[in-house]
Amino acid sequence: MKNTIKVERAKKDMTQQDLAEKVSVSRQTINSIEAGKYVPSTVLALKIARIFGVGLEEIFELEEGD
Amino acid sequence: MKDKSILNVPLLPFGWKKLGYVFFPLPVFLVIGLAFVNPDSNPIETSQVIYGFWAIGFGLLNLTREKVEDEMIKSFRLQAYQTGFYWLIWGIAALMMVNYLRFGRLTSEIFSAYLVLFLLNAYVYAAFQYQKYIASKN
Repeated sequence: MKNTIKVERAKKDMTQQDLAEKVSVSRQTINSIEAGKYVPSTVLALKIARIFGVGLEEIFELEEGD
Repeated sequence: MKDKSILNVPLLPFGWKKLGYVFFPLPVFLVIGLAFVNPDSNPIETSQVIYGFWAIGFGLLNLTREKVEDEMIKSFRLQAYQTGFYWLIWGIAALMMVNYLRFGRLTSEIFSAYLVLFLLNAYVYAAFQYQKYIASKN
């Protein structure tokens, strides 16, 4: 699953640590999600979308094979 | 899953990891001490002491919280137990095979609850640390 978290963070001038604190996870988890190594739960994905004020599907997108 | 569910596994605070590490060198000193007190001690019993202590050490490490216990760590933990159990089956099969080839029988006095608990906890710990390493690697 692809995501645009890095882009959304850049728009809001937010570090991985800032985002991690806002959604109560570790910076490592945000890093792994951005790198596509970890697929977040629905709850965490919704929290991330809410922080950026956009819809879920604007951040997360299914890839071929998902 | 609700915290009060019977399926919930409470984890120890992060500081307990230190106690877990203490259990690794401890049996070595204990075994050396026992060898001085009783030079005719059974080597199989000695190995069981080591397996027992190491099983407790790995068990404590596996049941202790990470600094940030978030959903990714929880998913790593679940995967580690599944992978650890799978490796345990193959590990025991390999030990039985080696025993059969060397002594002509599948079982041995060395196969004990201590050994199995040690192997299970060691494999779970290894699988957990491996996932953390992969996640942290850029």
